[in-house]
Amino acid sequence: MAQILQYLANGLVYSSIIILGSIGLSLVYSIADFANFAHGDTMTVGAYGAFVAFGLFGGMGGSLLGLPLGFYVSLLVGMALAAAIAVLTHLAVYEPLDTDSIGLLITSIGVAFVYRASLMGVFGTDFLQYDITRSGPIPFLLENFDVAITQRDVAIVVSAAVLVGSLHFLLQRTTLGRKMRATADNPDLARVSGIRTDRVILVMWVIGSALAAAGGVFLALYSQLDPRIGFGILLVVFAAVIVGGIGSVYGAMLGGLLIGMIHELTPLLGDVGIPIGTAYAPAIAFVIMVAVLLVKPRGIAGDLT
Amino acid sequence: MSALDVGAFSAREKGVAGLLGGIGVLLLIAVVAGVLAPAYLLYLVSLSAMYMLLSMGLNVQWGYGGLINFSVAAFFGLGAYGSALLTANSSPISGNVSPVIALFGGLLLAAVLAVLIGYPTLKLRDDYLAIASLGLAEVVRIFILNENQWTAGSAGLTGIPLFFADWPVLGDLSYPYVFQVGGTALFYMRQPVITGLLNLVLVGAFVAGVYLFLRRIHRSPWGRVLRTIKTDEDLAETLGKDTFAFKMQAFVIGSLIMALAGVFYTHLVLYVSPPDLQPITTFYVWVAVILGGTGSDRGAMLGGFTIVAIQQGTRFLNDAVQLPIGPAPLRLMLVGLLIILIVRLRPEGILPPERELIWPDAMRGDGDE
Amino acid sequence: MSEQSLVSDGPVLDKADPVLLAEGLEKRFGGLVATDDASIAVERGSITGLIGPNGAGKSTLFNLMSGFYEPDGGRVTVNGVDVTGKEPHEIADQGMIRTFQTPRKPEDMTVREALLVGPHDQTGESIVPLFTSPSTVEREERRSLERAQEMLERFEIGDLATQPATDLSGGQMKLVELARGMMAEPDLLLLDEPVAGVNPVLADKLAGFIEELNEEGITFLIIEHDMSFIMRLADPIIVLNQGSVLVEGPPEAVRSDERVIDAYLGGPSE
Repeated sequence: MAQILQYLANGLVYSSIIILGSIGLSLVYSIADFANFAHGDTMTVGAYGAFVAFGLFGGMGGSLLGLPLGFYVSLLVGMALAAAIAVLTHLAVYEPLDTDSIGLLITSIGVAFVYRASLMGVFGTDFLQYDITRSGPIPFLLENFDVAITQRDVAIVVSAAVLVGSLHFLLQRTTLGRKMRATADNPDLARVSGIRTDRVILVMWVIGSALAAAGGVFLALYSQLDPRIGFGILLVVFAAVIVGGIGSVYGAMLGGLLIGMIHELTPLLGDVGIPIGTAYAPAIAFVIMVAVLLVKPRGIAGDLT
Repeated sequence: MSALDVGAFSAREKGVAGLLGGIGVLLLIAVVAGVLAPAYLLYLVSLSAMYMLLSMGLNVQWGYGGLINFSVAAFFGLGAYGSALLTANSSPISGNVSPVIALFGGLLLAAVLAVLIGYPTLKLRDDYLAIASLGLAEVVRIFILNENQWTAGSAGLTGIPLFFADWPVLGDLSYPYVFQVGGTALFYMRQPVITGLLNLVLVGAFVAGVYLFLRRIHRSPWGRVLRTIKTDEDLAETLGKDTFAFKMQAFVIGSLIMALAGVFYTHLVLYVSPPDLQPITTFYVWVAVILGGTGSDRGAMLGGFTIVAIQQGTRFLNDAVQLPIGPAPLRLMLVGLLIILIVRLRPEGILPPERELIWPDAMRGDGDE
Repeated sequence: MSEQSLVSDGPVLDKADPVLLAEGLEKRFGGLVATDDASIAVERGSITGLIGPNGAGKSTLFNLMSGFYEPDGGRVTVNGVDVTGKEPHEIADQGMIRTFQTPRKPEDMTVREALLVGPHDQTGESIVPLFTSPSTVEREERRSLERAQEMLERFEIGDLATQPATDLSGGQMKLVELARGMMAEPDLLLLDEPVAGVNPVLADKLAGFIEELNEEGITFLIIEHDMSFIMRLADPIIVLNQGSVLVEGPPEAVRSDERVIDAYLGGPSE
């Protein structure tokens, strides 16, 4: 039982990261209308941005949930950097293209490689760590529930919840959010209704990439940092988006939660005697995605927006 | 008229041929001058030919039929592993099977996987196929990496014989081999050169066979249906074409050609390991196809040559000048930039397909002048 | 008064020899009902018109009958064969070919190549015969080429044969679509707005070609917004409104029927 609780706790942390990644991917899919294969590497860019910033701000005093305040500042810097690079990429690469969604998809692979090659060029390919001492599991939870959860895990989940909550507020309660939803729903109709869709698209790149960057930072914090982490997780993020239903932000959240949980619950299969190693966790996420596509091509969340 | 005249070459084709010829002459000069080992040149040419096979395979899927297959590396890897597992003396499952038989083993493995991947994904939207095929390719790689008892895992497989190792005559040559006419020795060749030559002949035969096969099916009513599917699948359906069956055929044929490249790779390099299945291999081949000209077999062959040029060029550059960026990132950067620039500047590629593809014999003498 | 009685309330289904029979077709998208108990019969040898205000469900009906949508209820029969829920290509095999409202121009193909896709069951569409019996492939291909040229000349666009299909004007594309459909030797051609965006001169020509082909035995079912075109060409006319058949009758009678006028004046109620 404690074992299951432990897997669920891990699942919650991993889901938080996947959700942050899947929201941006889903936004691009619905508003810019293509499968963005550079999204994983945008996560990596954010993680490295925060890494550099942490070198500058790491010494700031105070701490929150076991992480120095400087880390949160660096997180914001990483998010801003990824957003800026995504907007630049949109303006310099995607927008001038006279091509269909498949052409954009192929181009995004080129963009992914350029991002990753740049990071490899500057930082090398070695594993890096944010210079934060790891603290042990929270004693209260360990003693009472026999579950090992670190403050760092809590920080990831809480931060992700704050970010997702802010997005929800933005989408539901602001004019900008209404315009975004309208554009995602039907770009042509939005345009004739007087919405400046080109601006909405820019905002979407900013939000999507900033959230992706946060996901990248937390992924690096959860494990470690190297130029391949983003591309490595991209397929799982795609699985979340597709399972949730392309074009639906809330579907992406639901899909992220589901896929993240499944990913971390994989060891359970071994516990009940099904000999599938944890190395296959992404593979299982993937097989589930293909199955969902076949049964419900519009995803489990269907028409939710 | 000129578009139909098989013998005529466009100025662009002549230019490309001239460029390739020029590079060939330079390389030969480099060999004569002693800068480049002859065996290494043979190896590079064989490697180019292997990438030509991969590109031609992808061209059947993406170029003819518009199928976005991002699992090129998986089919290449299956061909390579299939053959290696059957022939290598270090193989954990079988080993020491004749390479000629193993060739069919590798192809069979690829065909089975093609059907398994194709069945669920070819019914999906184009972009879903891209995501699903990349994911399923990763599943194959993870499987090979983790199932040590069948695949030797991360260590990879060694002890693979040359393709001709058990052939009569070719397998029993003594080295250095002396060429003689009527008892007079003319010249001799060392083992690496002979091996390189034999490999080149082998892959040359593969490339020629595949090219002729594709030339025929591309110009046929079969190829025409696929090309229709590429622009408008619904239209092909309304004209009574079972598009799923056509797509499946193209997917399997393309995958078999990729696996053939994998089989050759095994007996060229004599070592296979999981990194051979990295997604980057897939995207090298994509660059080759879109650069050469989507839908064009000659373009795919040109693209195959380009890959080796990128790989060797970056290596050479790294040796020659101190770059601020290592060869691997530089390669990745080049591949990335090439993709972006081709889609932006020349989406049809360098050698786009011929304007009209009709069964050649049916065109003969129908008063077309 | 006598004219009024010519107009049937709802569809006429008891036709002597229907090529196409659709009964009680239903399709919902989410909560939205696109077609609700839609039934039509197309008599062999007729040119049947299908009209109705925007959103009446005409295109949905076409998609249901040609297999692109799976119906939530109802039955489709082509030449007496039940094709409900079959794939579009299987339905096409029964002799019913459709065109699209906004055809995509085939890339990297000449006009005659595009036509050569039309014929059914070409030997050369299978891989093995390409190598085992190339002479059969060649013979068929030669015949198809000749037929394609004849067809293009018949539609007075013979000079376009070796032009890239992407260079065609919208009107020319409609002619090519019709020609390609004919290459498949259909019993019934479903045309979705054949003269939308076509200039009046070409539209007139197109009407003439359709009449000619009809006299040679091809049955037509045509969706069209251009009233003068469809009223001149088709008899009977079926009027669709809000997802089901409102009335059916000869053009003159349908034109002056009050229910039809109301439906059009009511405009798109969805």
